[in-house]
Amino acid sequence: QTTGLVGLAVSENPHERLRILYTKILGVLQNIPKDAAYRKYTEQIVNERFSLVQKETDVQKLEDKLNSGHIEEVIVQAENELSLARKMMQWKPWEPLVEEPPADQWKWPI
Amino acid sequence: TVRPKNEVEQKQLCAFGEYVAEILPKYIQQVQVTCFNELELLIHPDGIIPVLTFLRDHTNAQFKSLADLTAVDVPSRQYRFEIVYNLLSLRFNSRIRVKTYTDELTPLDSAVSVHKAANWYEREVWDMYGVFFANHPDLRRILTDYGFEGHPFRKDFPLSGYVEVRYDDEVKRVVAEPVELSQEFRKFDLNSPWEAFPAYRPAPETLKIEAGAKKEDAK
Repeated sequence: QTTGLVGLAVSENPHERLRILYTKILGVLQNIPKDAAYRKYTEQIVNERFSLVQKETDVQKLEDKLNSGHIEEVIVQAENELSLARKMMQWKPWEPLVEEPPADQWKWPI
Repeated sequence: TVRPKNEVEQKQLCAFGEYVAEILPKYIQQVQVTCFNELELLIHPDGIIPVLTFLRDHTNAQFKSLADLTAVDVPSRQYRFEIVYNLLSLRFNSRIRVKTYTDELTPLDSAVSVHKAANWYEREVWDMYGVFFANHPDLRRILTDYGFEGHPFRKDFPLSGYVEVRYDDEVKRVVAEPVELSQEFRKFDLNSPWEAFPAYRPAPETLKIEAGAKKEDAK
């Protein structure tokens, strides 16, 4: 039993791990203002994947339905999304633009 | 031959660009898609680390690979250096370009905390252009000689440099001396008499007649 990828061990009980991760992500997203686009889109993605994980118990079929590589890669991606959500809470990127560039900054050709 | 236009990919890239601009309006100043289907995000320098972490970690944009980190020198601008990050997504097989700006003295945040590959690239940009990166683990010269002064890739640095002539002396070592060329540098004006890009002419300034000083009624 091997994933075929260096450094990624086969995870037993991936459904449980994904369930925990997705609930944590949704919990972090509650702290972002409701009208932020990041919260909207990430909730959409996470709910989609969550429902697929809950409906499908067979690992192979779940991998095919998610269409995102091995289950272990999906777990890694969920962990990344969780850390990103936590960092987004500090950076608050939904606010309007910080500073306008000078008028000729992005003009090309000069 | 002319490459045929791939409208589908163009539309997908436009849609993705709008998606990212909607999520990160705080830092993204402009989004453009070139005619060769290359997506570019133009960023405020404060937003380097947020935007790069978003592009690396978000599920819809897994740009895990930093392909390139370079700078462009445009001396006529107020912020003369334009730093360019090229990212590659292995999951979705697509590339994206992130551009920021800075001048000679303002430091930028280092991307090493987001992509380990940025280490030597940032050393190279520091050495060649003089752009300082804050929080870089080891920012020192990488391509120039040990006692070299100056930043070679800047547009105001001459082609043959200032102190490039080195030879063995009676001192029995290599010395640096001001450069002496047998022929002075010749710059040719290679502009053609015809206009190069008729589609990119600057917009004509409309001439206005300004109101002169009003004559005071003599009373």
